[in-house]
Parts: sequence; structure tokens; C-alpha cells
Amino acid sequence: MRLANLIGGVFVLILGLAVVFFSSQLTYYSEFGPGPGFLPLWVGMIISACGIYVVIDLLRKQGGKEEFFKLRTRLGLQIFITIIITFLLLPLLGFPIGLAFFIGVTMRMMGKHRWAPCALTAIITAIGIHFIFISWLTIPLPRGLIGW
Amino acid sequence: MELLNNLYTGFSIALTFNNIIYCLVGVLFGQIVGVLPGIGAPTAIALLLPLTYKVNPTSALIMFAGIYYGVAYGGTITSVLINVPGESSTVMTCIDGYQMAQKGRAGAALSVAAIGSFLAGTISIIILMAFAPALARFALRFGPPEYFALTAMAFGLLTVFGGEQPIKTIISTMFGLLIATIGLDVVSGMPRFAFGVPQLLGGIDFIVIICGMFGVAEVFSSIEEPEEGEIIKQKMHLRDLFLTWEEWIASRWAILRGGVIGFIVGMIPAGGITTASFLAYLGEKRFSKHPERLGKEPSKGLPHLNRLIILPRSAASLHFWHWEFQGLLRPL
Repeated sequence: MRLANLIGGVFVLILGLAVVFFSSQLTYYSEFGPGPGFLPLWVGMIISACGIYVVIDLLRKQGGKEEFFKLRTRLGLQIFITIIITFLLLPLLGFPIGLAFFIGVTMRMMGKHRWAPCALTAIITAIGIHFIFISWLTIPLPRGLIGW
Repeated sequence: MELLNNLYTGFSIALTFNNIIYCLVGVLFGQIVGVLPGIGAPTAIALLLPLTYKVNPTSALIMFAGIYYGVAYGGTITSVLINVPGESSTVMTCIDGYQMAQKGRAGAALSVAAIGSFLAGTISIIILMAFAPALARFALRFGPPEYFALTAMAFGLLTVFGGEQPIKTIISTMFGLLIATIGLDVVSGMPRFAFGVPQLLGGIDFIVIICGMFGVAEVFSSIEEPEEGEIIKQKMHLRDLFLTWEEWIASRWAILRGGVIGFIVGMIPAGGITTASFLAYLGEKRFSKHPERLGKEPSKGLPHLNRLIILPRSAASLHFWHWEFQGLLRPL
């Protein structure tokens, strides 16, 4: 777990520093008391301090044998990347087609299904979501370039 | 005597055939909507409002109450079965309810949540009816110092969750505070960490984070360790849904404690169902003779786990009345 904790510690430190940077651009103290930047600045400083503590604490300790990436971690990462890509494509594809893309890709990657059932499920998902949620229930889901 | 008269009048109205059917329909629809993660009671009532358009006001309110409890219980179902809280008040139910489900006792977990909630809720409502005027005066005296004290107590209670690595507790608490700062600042109205995204101006809802934390984590963990997600096949009998007598005996004080904590927190404006469930769980961790078993895989001693599922549900029971105090029903 040492490497995992080290990566986590560095991430916490970077996040804390980013919070400190962005909150320093907000008003720290206003006429009526603490401004909008007051709380986030302190939160950012505490997060950064925690990140530094975790990193230093780990560097002082001796590392043992470890297994950070398990056999199936790669698959988890692929799913995670697919979620991010889907999220980024939502404004272009719209919600029904975006979700259909995600379902199709995960079925293919995780379930190892053949292309035909993956594509069929994706198409049914897109049509179903469009007609049930957008047309029938008129829920304002993000629309893509083709208006779906 | 007046209390008994009021109770008689209430029951004589509520226990008519029509009103029971409306309540049943409300509970049924509430459960269907409550199973969907992220949809809480106010949203569910708003969605199901058209169902009551042609109903008289008393029956409509009974139906709302049914929907409210149905949604609350629907959240318990997903918490116990798939480790994803349906709403914020069922977060604590996930911790031990899911462990029971993995041991093949999902039915018992669901039934104890329902029965415990009913018992503690009934006790709370009777106390409320007896002392409502005095309690209302007490609730109105709640001002900024009391809210501050409540928040300070919540942070103090985090030490109970701390475990062996307090640094992780501090980091997660700060992450929570950081997420809470996203959106418009309540004092100045200035946008914080919205980065020009209009959707972020309203902040990030608690249930969104909870669904992400429990649901997405569960998905990734089942991808990585597929053998842990094996389905336990077993024969189900109706009697498996109920607890044994010993389990009920072990659960009795937990039901009472949950009811009392839910009642006290439910009285406080802005206290609410989620705070009550967290406080009840943490309180039980303090009262428990075996706190090390909490949230861990049970070796034996299911009664102990049952107690913890009852608590959050019971603590929530007074919330409906608290809700009415806040005037949430009035706009409807």
C-alpha cells in the first residue's frame, strides 16, 4: 500500500495547493466578517499540511514488497476512462447517445460480449431514454448536436 | 384526556377504508421512487403530486405521509441489497445492512429496518403529541449559538470514526468541507469554485456525493475483486424475514435509543433525518459492547448488527413532523 498511499498523499498535496491558490483570489475578509475566501483558504492549507504529512511519513518508512496494480485494476481504469470520455462527449452526443456509448463500451470491455448484442443494447438504450425521459416525461437532459 | 380524544379523532379518520388504500398506494409508489438512488422524499412527493389532485385534503396528506415513509424505506432497500444509499438518511444503513445481505440475511435486515422504524416512530409520535406545545417553544429558541454547538459536536463525533489513522479522518473531513464550499457563498453571494459552470453555482448535493462514494466505489471494487460479488443462492422462507426472539431482545434498547435520538434531533430546526441517523449510529457505537464489529464482516452476533440497522431508520421517524414544522408541506 506504500505506493498507493504515496500517490494519494501527492494528490492531496496538489489539491490542497490548488485550493489555496484559487481561494487566495477570493475576498478573505469583508466588511461584515469572513469573506468567501476565508473558509476555503484554511481548508486548503489544512489539506496541504495533511498531504505533506502523509508524504513525509511514507518517505521515512521502509517500503516492503507490495502489489499496487492487481490483475483487474487495468479493467477498472478502462471503465473509469470511459466514464470520463462519456462525460466529456455528453455536450456533443447528448445524454441518450452518450449513455448508449458508455453501455456499449462497458458491455464489450467488461462483459466480453460480441459486438452485435453490445450495439443492439446501446441502440435500444438510446431510443428508450430519448422517448421515455425526453419526449414523454420532458426531463431536461443534455441534448447533443443532432438534437437528441 | 384531550390527547386521547385527539388520538380517537385521528384514528377514526385515518382508519377508514379509503384512507388506508390511499396510504397503501402512497407507500407503494414511494417505495418504487425511493429505490432510485438520489431521489429523496421532497422530490418524490413533487413527482407524485398529480396523483392527489382529485383527492380530498385529508386523504392527500395521508397519501403524502405514505409516500414519505415509502421513499425512506425504498432507500433502505438499495442500501441493504447493493450498498448504494437511496437517500442521505440511509447512508448508515449501508454499513451494516450490506454486510448482513452478504451473509444471506438481507430479508432480516430489511424487516428489522421496517419494524424498528415503525416501533420507534410510533413512540416518537406519541411523545410529540403529548408535549408538542412545549417542544415547539423549545425548537423556536434554537439560534446561531445552538447551531454552532451542534456543528462543533458533529466535528467532535468524527473522532469516533477516526480509527487507527486520524490523518485520513482529517483529510476526508476537509474534503467534505471543501465540497460544501462549492457554489454561492451564503453570506456574500459570491460564486466559489464554480469556474463558470452554472450548474455548480447551486453547490453539490449531499446525496450525489454519497451515491458516488458508495455506488461508484462498489462498482470498481466488484470489477477488481469479482469473486467478492458472488451471489449467494439460498432458499427463502417467510420466517427468515423476521428476527428470532433473542435478536429482538438484543435490539430492544437500540430501538428505544434510536427513537429518542431521532425525536430530539427531529425537533431541532435544520437537524433533520441525516443528522439523526449519523448521531444514532455514532451513539450506538459508543453504547455497544462490541464496537469493533461495527461495519466489519460479522463472524457471529447478528443481533448486534440488527441493532445498527434499526437505529438510523428509527431516528428518521420523527422527521416527517419536523418537516411539517419547517413548512415544507405547506407550499405543496
